[in-house]
Amino acid sequence: MIRFNDVSFTYGANEGQLPIRAVDHLSFHVKKGSHVALLGRNGSGKSTIARLINGLLLPDEGSVIVGGMDTRDSLDIFEIRRICGMVFQNPDNQLIGTTVADDIAFGPCNLELSIDEVNSRVDEALRKAGLTDLRDRAPHNLSGGQKQKLAIASVLAMEPECIILDEATSMLDPSSRQSVMELILELKDKSDISIVQITHHMEEAVLADYVYVISEGRITLEGIPAEVFDQFERVRAEGLSIPTHIEIARRIANATTAPYRPEDIFSFDGAVSFVRSVLSQFSPSDVPGNRRDAIDKSPSKSVESEDRRVDDVAHESDCERVVEISDLSFAYVSDAGDPVKALKNVSLSVYKGEILGILGHTGSGKSTLIQHINGILPSKKGTVVVLGRDLSDRKVVREIRRHVGLLFQYPEDQLFEETVALDIAFAPKQLNRTPEQVERSVLRAAKRLGVDSILHRSPFELSGGQRRRVAIAGVLAADPDIIMMDEPAAGFDPAGRDDLFSDLMTLADEGATLLIVSHDMETMASLCDRILILNDGEIAGCGTPREMTSSSEFLESVSLVLPSSKRFLNRFVDLFPNLDTNCYTAEEAADSLLRATAEEYSAN
Amino acid sequence: MKARSMLGRSVPGTSLVHRLDARIKFLGAIVLMVATLSARDVRVLGFFLLWTVVIAIISQIKIKVIMRSIRPLLFIIIFATLLHLFTVEGHVFLRLGALKITREGLISGGLTALRLALMVVNTSMFLTLTTTPLAIADALESLLSPLAYLHFPVHEFAMMMSIALRFVPTLLDEADKIMKAQSSRGADYDTGGPLRRMRGLVSILVPLFISSFRRADDLAIAMEARCYRGGTARTRLHASKLKAIDIVFSFILLGLLLLVFVVQPHLPLLAFPGGLAS
Repeated sequence: MIRFNDVSFTYGANEGQLPIRAVDHLSFHVKKGSHVALLGRNGSGKSTIARLINGLLLPDEGSVIVGGMDTRDSLDIFEIRRICGMVFQNPDNQLIGTTVADDIAFGPCNLELSIDEVNSRVDEALRKAGLTDLRDRAPHNLSGGQKQKLAIASVLAMEPECIILDEATSMLDPSSRQSVMELILELKDKSDISIVQITHHMEEAVLADYVYVISEGRITLEGIPAEVFDQFERVRAEGLSIPTHIEIARRIANATTAPYRPEDIFSFDGAVSFVRSVLSQFSPSDVPGNRRDAIDKSPSKSVESEDRRVDDVAHESDCERVVEISDLSFAYVSDAGDPVKALKNVSLSVYKGEILGILGHTGSGKSTLIQHINGILPSKKGTVVVLGRDLSDRKVVREIRRHVGLLFQYPEDQLFEETVALDIAFAPKQLNRTPEQVERSVLRAAKRLGVDSILHRSPFELSGGQRRRVAIAGVLAADPDIIMMDEPAAGFDPAGRDDLFSDLMTLADEGATLLIVSHDMETMASLCDRILILNDGEIAGCGTPREMTSSSEFLESVSLVLPSSKRFLNRFVDLFPNLDTNCYTAEEAADSLLRATAEEYSAN
Repeated sequence: MKARSMLGRSVPGTSLVHRLDARIKFLGAIVLMVATLSARDVRVLGFFLLWTVVIAIISQIKIKVIMRSIRPLLFIIIFATLLHLFTVEGHVFLRLGALKITREGLISGGLTALRLALMVVNTSMFLTLTTTPLAIADALESLLSPLAYLHFPVHEFAMMMSIALRFVPTLLDEADKIMKAQSSRGADYDTGGPLRRMRGLVSILVPLFISSFRRADDLAIAMEARCYRGGTARTRLHASKLKAIDIVFSFILLGLLLLVFVVQPHLPLLAFPGGLAS
């Protein structure tokens, strides 16, 4: 179906810029009807590959053959684009029509089909994507997930043989991402369409038939997903992550030297039953001496630190409250003219120095809540008191904003200065500080985010990840005491996300209060002291990660899921009644299982 | 937010006026504009008042909504009326220092106000209130299509309009978000001298322009990926045929033009002065 023969592509080759080789002597192929995943870090050349497939870019060297046609042959280019439909990352920037039906019709109209044919294709595509009810809506009034489904429907209307998804789910929340993936898999099953999926979400990669890992425009690893993810260290080295259940099973297998086959531990259930059988037959004498130590003395870490955390919160009345919200409600009128109650009687205290994770599905009121805390939205019903001052006085709001930093989603969109240094200096300059003070604040913020070496460059020539870091530094430069962040790592690859969070956590060590809005229960549970769960504008729960993840029924009722390591451990409580299931990383979970096994063994 | 409510002002409905072909409505709005402005005779103007009331009833749009459409032009209407009020010579009616109001001025000012109000109400009833922006864009493309023979890029023009319509709400959202983000960084758009405010504006406009360029780039690629190659051969999705009602309405419009330009000059003069005020 698609074949790359020794393809190279370089950006900026003819434009006098610094040439960047994005694709480097790449050869691979995609069979008809197969589902191939291209994995790699941000900037590894994945999107360039996608654009080479349907002739949006043409190779400098080598050739790209699609359905027997060469993309360099200009006569075939529109046929190639028809049979290889493409869905892009940003839902807003790929919808062309002013209504859902018009957008689907755009492609068929370009194919110069008759009106009747166009209309029947539109109906068909609407039906396949489950969008029939939204036919006459404006794209602007759709949710992110619906927009991406529309983009898929628009591709389907051209009757493609292959759909290329260029990080098509990376700007969606987990539940929309899942429903888009379900649609894609359904299409693949029903209509023999090939799928080329570019992603850094491992849960999507495991669904593929074959995986290529791309780094610096080259394939560094390939195979069926079970084999690729078995190469633990190499996948990690590529900045990617391993599905939690595979990692736990691998760690258990390593510690106990039990043999396994990659395909046995590839599925969640497979991994559980493998670990169960290993641990139930386990006896320390099977293990070589040096490894036994690792099991016996496996750090009994989390119990202590977790308890200390719980203590902290138990004594919360002693702590200084930096934010106190009581009985806050907020309503607005939507574009469609319906009144929306974004917040309903929310009361909340935030304590000095804590890390509070705010979770909830899209539209649950998370963003509205944090926008009240720095007074961007005025509190009309209820009171918001920040650092002891009531925000209903608008004069106080200006004063308080210098103490409360707010980072919106995709903050890189707000950069505007000529250089990184000037942009970071924007906030401290507004505070009438001396130039020396401003410079010091800029340097400190830039160092923390690792952008101090690019201070003189224009923010617009940086990569997306660097721009994000500059934007974050721009908020931190005002030295706020309370920092609120809305999905700070959205769109980042796993390693990029971990790096960013570890940089941000240094703020908490220095005494700042952090409020992090996210969909990602796994990361939040491992980072935060407390978790607040919002559902339809109301507080559904607030407490330690341990408390908030104790019931999967509760989390399901608010459209969230258990962290997968905890879900894994919950399958072992019958085997080990004393198992500590409050683990949010694979490493902790494997340790916890090994510790429980050792205890069980010595008890017998 | 204001701009959005203006764009989305069309009131959905199924009345006769709603169902008229957008091209005919577009031409109708122009014809009525010319006709009401050229109506000098008070009887002709009275007829247009009656006509407007009848159309308003047929369109089933609330009187409050119709009246709201006058608001943006209220200042111009008042200004034009006052100009007539104080400048037309004739029987002095009232003196206010150096200013004098004449009877002729009063009548002429009143007619001017009525003429302008009728013009605005007719335009909004036929276009903004009963026709979606998309239908207007399509109508324009169709009406401009003869210009293609003069090498005017009609299709591209129409595509531009429709894309603009599609992205206005998106960009408004974006502007709102950027403004909030810069406010959070301490930018102040309400206080301070003009220089400080200008500076504040830069912090919104630059990111907005840059993101618009990026969106334009992305959109161009998305359009190319869906086989867009410009031009003339594309299937015209909204090409609609004129219905009987459209033809009937066209004749009514023609009648209105005849009334103003052929009948009006031959109407017998009215007995009281000011009937032909101008």
